[in-house]
Amino acid sequence: MRMVHVLTSVVGTKCELKVKNGTVYEGVFKTYGPECDLVLDAAHRKSTEPNTGPRKEDIVESIIFKASDVVVVSFKDVDLNFARKDNFTDSAVSGRINGEHKEKDLEPWDGGETHHSDSLESLDTDVSNGWDPNDMFKFNEEKYGVLSTYDSSLSTYTVPLERDNSEEYLKREARAAQLAEEIEASATYKARVALENDERTEEDKYTAVVRGERDGHALSRESKYIPPGQRNREAMSWGPGRQNSPRLSQNSGGPPTPRSGPHDYSPSASSDQRVVNGGSSHWSSSPCPSPSRYPPGPSSLPPRATTPTRPPSRPPSRPSRPPSHSSHSSYPSSASSSFSHHGPTSPASTLPKRMSSEGPPRMSPKSQRTPRTHRGPPCRTPGVPPGLELISHNAPVEVPAAPPTRSSSGGTWSSVVSGAHRPRSPRQNNMSGASPGSSTLPSPQTGTVPIETTGTPSASSPTAASPAPNMIPSSDGKDCRVQETRQTSPTANKENIKPLESSPSISRPVCKGTFSFLLHLKNALPPLGSFLLYYVMFFFFSSLQLQPSSNPDPSFEQMMTKGPRDSVDKPKDLPLDKDGVVVITPGTPGSSAAPSSTSNSSKPGSPAALSPSPSAPDLKRAGLDMSVQTTPTSAYSGAKHEDKEEKKEAVQVRKSTLNPNANEFKPRFNAQPKPANTPTPPRPQGQPSPSIVVPQPPTVYGQTVCFPQMYPLTPVSPGVQSPMYQLPISHMTVSQSKPYRPVPNMPQQRSEQHHAPGTPTMMHSATAAGPPIMATSPAYSAQYFTCSPQQFTSQPLVQQMPHYQSQAQHVFSPVMQGSARMMAPPTHGQPSSSQYPEQTHTMYGRSPLPLFYFINETPGPMPQQYTHHSATLHPHPQHPQPSATPTGQGQQGGPPQHTGPPNHPAASPVQHPQHPQAAAALHLANQPQQQMYSALAPTPPSMTPGPNPQSPQASFPSAQQTVYLHPTQVQHGYNPSHMAHVQQVSVVLCCCDYGYFAHMQSGIVPSHHPAPTHPPMMLMATQGPPGGPQPPMAQTALNPIPVSSTTHFSYLTHPVQHHQQQL
Amino acid sequence: MAAPGPGEYFSVGSHVSCLTCLGQRLNGEVVAFDYQSKMLTLKCASSSGKPNLNDVILINLAYVSDVDIINDRTETPPPLASLNVSKLANRARTEKEDKLSQAYAISAGVSAEGQQLFQTIHKTIKDCKWQEKNIIVMDDVVISPPYQVENCKGKEGSALSHVRKIVEKHFRDLESQKSMQRSQAQQTQKDSTLSS
Repeated sequence: MRMVHVLTSVVGTKCELKVKNGTVYEGVFKTYGPECDLVLDAAHRKSTEPNTGPRKEDIVESIIFKASDVVVVSFKDVDLNFARKDNFTDSAVSGRINGEHKEKDLEPWDGGETHHSDSLESLDTDVSNGWDPNDMFKFNEEKYGVLSTYDSSLSTYTVPLERDNSEEYLKREARAAQLAEEIEASATYKARVALENDERTEEDKYTAVVRGERDGHALSRESKYIPPGQRNREAMSWGPGRQNSPRLSQNSGGPPTPRSGPHDYSPSASSDQRVVNGGSSHWSSSPCPSPSRYPPGPSSLPPRATTPTRPPSRPPSRPSRPPSHSSHSSYPSSASSSFSHHGPTSPASTLPKRMSSEGPPRMSPKSQRTPRTHRGPPCRTPGVPPGLELISHNAPVEVPAAPPTRSSSGGTWSSVVSGAHRPRSPRQNNMSGASPGSSTLPSPQTGTVPIETTGTPSASSPTAASPAPNMIPSSDGKDCRVQETRQTSPTANKENIKPLESSPSISRPVCKGTFSFLLHLKNALPPLGSFLLYYVMFFFFSSLQLQPSSNPDPSFEQMMTKGPRDSVDKPKDLPLDKDGVVVITPGTPGSSAAPSSTSNSSKPGSPAALSPSPSAPDLKRAGLDMSVQTTPTSAYSGAKHEDKEEKKEAVQVRKSTLNPNANEFKPRFNAQPKPANTPTPPRPQGQPSPSIVVPQPPTVYGQTVCFPQMYPLTPVSPGVQSPMYQLPISHMTVSQSKPYRPVPNMPQQRSEQHHAPGTPTMMHSATAAGPPIMATSPAYSAQYFTCSPQQFTSQPLVQQMPHYQSQAQHVFSPVMQGSARMMAPPTHGQPSSSQYPEQTHTMYGRSPLPLFYFINETPGPMPQQYTHHSATLHPHPQHPQPSATPTGQGQQGGPPQHTGPPNHPAASPVQHPQHPQAAAALHLANQPQQQMYSALAPTPPSMTPGPNPQSPQASFPSAQQTVYLHPTQVQHGYNPSHMAHVQQVSVVLCCCDYGYFAHMQSGIVPSHHPAPTHPPMMLMATQGPPGGPQPPMAQTALNPIPVSSTTHFSYLTHPVQHHQQQL
Repeated sequence: MAAPGPGEYFSVGSHVSCLTCLGQRLNGEVVAFDYQSKMLTLKCASSSGKPNLNDVILINLAYVSDVDIINDRTETPPPLASLNVSKLANRARTEKEDKLSQAYAISAGVSAEGQQLFQTIHKTIKDCKWQEKNIIVMDDVVISPPYQVENCKGKEGSALSHVRKIVEKHFRDLESQKSMQRSQAQQTQKDSTLSS
């Protein structure tokens, strides 16, 4: 202990530590260890030289010396008391006292006996004031031996009075008494006596605090001093006051209660906030993201159906609409109406008109879209979420307007869009599926649709539902309407197709379309998981045959090619005869039918039983087109459902969204088909479409495709219809190619991959083309609203265009991504519309952007799409291109196309977009157009870049190739067509379509030739085996394509190849 | 350790004398002894002659021979006072800083006079530091190399005058000390001469 104490007390002192070898270290003693190890800080070896301090470099931070090494440690001049704590304790202080200090002895006090008995009273009574003089004399005499000389007589000071009885003595005595009396009687004497004898002490007179009289004052003073007693009094008074204060406090407490109130308020505020939050959340979650958007969309949709500005009522109307849509009658009616519209318009004159009309509307949509707000305003006033609303509005507007005006341009646009949307085709497929189901097979669709999402409306609703029920409803309603239109359009298309071609061909295309759709649907439905599945599926497809992997792509490509081809064929044919209208109707029907079938086949096939689905579609195709369609749709829905099941809600939502989109697209289709189909009822269309497909192989398809495209465009049910259409288109082309050529088959196969049947595919291709166009056109229109509006003078068309745009965008996105398709529906419902529009607006300001956005937004889908499809990638580029092209086209060639083959132009534009997405041809066309227009519009570059980044390089290359090829070919075709079509969009579409068609025809045919093998391949692809053939087909197609209009083929092939490679 | 236990060789308070292995003779009052490490602590009169200070020597008995107990003490040693550890820690820190500062000055090539002046100033004013070869006092007064009174520069004021007084006194004391030494030396010489 002492060692510790001593060492501790010397801490911080300088020390010299000598070790065994005699070396001395100097440092500051820092601390020590239990083993008596010593630590020196800032130690240095002490040199022998005196007076030389340590150099900086000689000092060691710290050195630890073991006790065994230490010989002696010396601390110089240490104050051992330095750190003592008790400097001021008693002991410490006492220890420092200087000198001796003796304390006095205390003595007990002896009060004396006299006081024993008496207590304090005795003292009071004791008059004696201290010592008696005698006592003092006595005490001093005894104590000190002093004898007092005191004489009480005071003889030494005075003389005693001698009394006598003499007169004189008496006189003097009397006189003395008189004088004394006088003196005493005087006032002065009294005053002086009074002063001298005043009993009051000075304290009493001057310093004492007198209470008696001053109580009153005290009272007054109490408030100040608050003496104890007073305090009590005051306390009383205060009590109240205090109580009051407490009360006040309480009151304040009351305030607190108020506070609590505030708290309540705060709670309420919180609640409010909560509410707000909830609201906000709601807003953010549902309204903002999708709901609001959706609502707008829906509202827009309703507007579409009836008036653009119905947003509020729309939801209800939508539901009602969906039902109506679900009901074939409604669909037919809508379809018929659309058809009728189309019919009137769709016919040559109508088509041009429509194109023109659509062009303007689209233009307006574009303008609107480009300015989201504009979108909202133009399309709808609701403009809740400008972008969304606008989009939706546009879409709705498009839908309504599109159907009527769609006839040619709208239809073409929609179809083109759908084609472009093919990537979206999943969505579109879904949409188409739903729409087809609803339209073609009201009961089945309704049943299926409900199952999927609750019918097409439900489908849309699901999508919307996830985001926002309201929105969904509206969207559903719109979707339903769209679907109806689509359905009608499909039916009409089918019917048209039937008349023109054999239903089988259509169904085949449809099957292909369905495949693509399935793929798309898969992609779209389960964004992620579905994407995986889709990827797998796509991979299978690609591996199998037609670039199935890129099935969407292939399908898209095929679609595109087909669509283009068809469109091309159509252009060729149509231009000649302007069969566009008729053809379109067939195409649309075919597309519709194809979509349905495709949807069916695709759905089943996509998940697992691709082949089955195809077969089923075929069967269905064999059966009633409508039924088939419905079944396909159902199948799609089923597939979707499967996917959904896999991905569950999200997928469902997507599906629903897809469905809605599809519906929208369908409406477009319907509208388009209607124009075209007007002759034939929508329902029949499904069947007719196959028939149509069969009858009209290439040319018809081309026309049909164009029409479908046109329809899709007009219907604007971009997503569904476009997919449907696209697929159908591709199928159509394929089917056509099959019947006519293997190459067509290839496309068909591609489309058919899902569904083998060439005819169905043809139908599908046609339908797809139609729808795609429609969809694409819408999308484009949306994107190109400005252009489209220009093109489509009629606002309705524009509105439809918006819808289409939105849908198309969605479709595009789906198509683009494949998964995006799936996304498209959902996105359409929720994100897609809003996002797409916004994105599109932001990005491209047009559909392309939206598409990309969609793709982006739907990452899952996107990847899949990307991975799956270079084509999908192409689609993106295409989309951008389309958008650009549409604008450019609209500006440049739009008018010509419209004028010449309005349907084609419209379809072509749409197709282009679609094709780009789905098929390279479209991309090519778009690209060419874009290139063409690139000068015109910057969008193309952006678009291309956008796509490029998103889309795999391969796809881009392909796209570029396609572009290049297309430019030449397409341009050629386009120029005429464009010339014919005044409207840019239509022109673009037309150009695209033409280019595609041309490509399709020239190149596709070869490709199709190989395609024959492809059809099986397609099946295989769907199943998986076809993949092998498909790639070859693609290659073959590529080869042919280059030779002929190779660009498309090259694209197709390239995409396919890319896909294969990717796969 | 309150009292020398059976195992303790030295009782606190006893005076001992020992011879180290290095031939150094040490003696003092036993303050503490650690049997484990054989460390013996002695308290000696301050080598500087200051009455209130002591020299503390820590001896390792392992290297000591000829330990003699001059007188033993049986009284109970005084109780140990509690120590202010923080105060000790501060001292250790300040000592270390001072040493490092000094070392810095030395390594900077400051003359011995400068160092001595620095030490002198530091005794009075803790707030002084080396800046290169200049002594900075209170961040206000700068004393540059010759370190004479006229080298004290800074804002005119009490600080500067105070520092000048310190410097002046330092050299005066230095002179007196030298004279003292001289005189002593002379005396010793005289003594030696006388004795011789």
